[in-house]
Amino acid sequence: MANFQVWLVHFLANAAPPIANFMRSKWGWPMAESIHFLGLSMLVGCVGLFDLRLLGMAKRIPIAALHKLIPFGLLGFAINVTSGSLFLLTEPDQYIYNPSFQFKVLFIASAGINALMFYKTSWGRATADNAVPDAPRAAKVAAAISLSLWICVIVCGRLLTFFRPGDCPASGPGLIADCTPRSPR
Amino acid sequence: MHFLTWLESTAASEWVRGSPSLFAFPGILSCHTVGMGLAAGINAAIAFRILGVAPSVPIAEMRKFLPAMWFGFWLNFFSGIGLLIGYPTKALTNPDFYLKLALIAAGVWLVGKIRDRIEQFPKKLAVWSLICWGGAITSGRLLAYTYRHLLAGM
Repeated sequence: MANFQVWLVHFLANAAPPIANFMRSKWGWPMAESIHFLGLSMLVGCVGLFDLRLLGMAKRIPIAALHKLIPFGLLGFAINVTSGSLFLLTEPDQYIYNPSFQFKVLFIASAGINALMFYKTSWGRATADNAVPDAPRAAKVAAAISLSLWICVIVCGRLLTFFRPGDCPASGPGLIADCTPRSPR
Repeated sequence: MHFLTWLESTAASEWVRGSPSLFAFPGILSCHTVGMGLAAGINAAIAFRILGVAPSVPIAEMRKFLPAMWFGFWLNFFSGIGLLIGYPTKALTNPDFYLKLALIAAGVWLVGKIRDRIEQFPKKLAVWSLICWGGAITSGRLLAYTYRHLLAGM
C-alpha cells in the first residue's frame, strides 16, 4: 500500500504540469474551490431532495417525476470529480496521505454502491404505475443512508485541511513521498 | 476597532479560533458547508423545476421542501455567527463579506417571492435566485483569499 501511494503521488504529480501551473496561479485554486462548492450544492440539492421525498417529504410528488432532477445531481458530481482532480493533480501528496481524503473517497464509493442497490432492489416498486405515495421501507433506508453518506463526504472534504500530512522542508524535494519515512498508513 | 479587539479577547472567540477540538473551528466550518448545500442546493432544485426540469412534478408541491431549505439556512445563520465570533476582524474588514451578506439577503427575499407565485412559473426570479445563491457561495469561498486583516490585534 505504501509503495502504491508513492507511485500514485508521483504519477499524479507528473500527469499534467500545465494544470498544476494554472492551479498555482493567483486565482486558479480559489476558482476551482468555488466551482467545487457550487457542484456540491447541486449534488446535495438534487440528490438530497430526492432522498427527502423517499423519506416522506412532499408525498404528493410522484417519485418517478422527481427523479428527473437526479441528472442535475449527477452533473454536480461530475463538476466535482473534475474540479476535485485539479486539486489532486496539483498537491497529490496532501491528499493521498490525508486520512480525511481516504475516508472521503470511501464514503463516495459507499454512496455509489448504495445508489446502485436502491435501483436494483426498490426502484421498480417505488415508481410502478400503481405505486403508493409512501415509498417502500427499503427505499427509505437507502435514502437515509444516502443522505448520511453525502453529509459525511462534505464533512470529510471540509476537514481535509486540518489533517494535512505536512510539507517538505524548503530545501528538500517537493513531495513528502520523498522526504518522510514511508510508513504504511 | 475597540469592539473587535474586545470580541477577539472573549473566551468564546478564543475557543472557536484556538481550541484543538474538532468541534470548534473545523466542526463549525463543516456545519456551515452542510447547511450551504441544503440551502443553496434546494433553492437551486426549485429554480430548476421552475425553468422546466422534471416537468411532471406538480410545481406547487415543490414548496413542501422549503422547511429543509430553511433548516440549512438557520444552520448556516448560527454556524456563520460562530465563525464570525472567531474571526470578526477578518470578515468585517473585508468588502467581500458584505457582498456575500447582500447576496444572501436578496436570495432570501426571492425565496418568499418565488413561494408566493410559484404556480406562475416565475422564470426570471428563478434565474436571479440561482445567481444570488451561486454568488453567495462564490463570495463566501473567496473570503479566505481576500481578507486584509486576520485579527484586530495584529
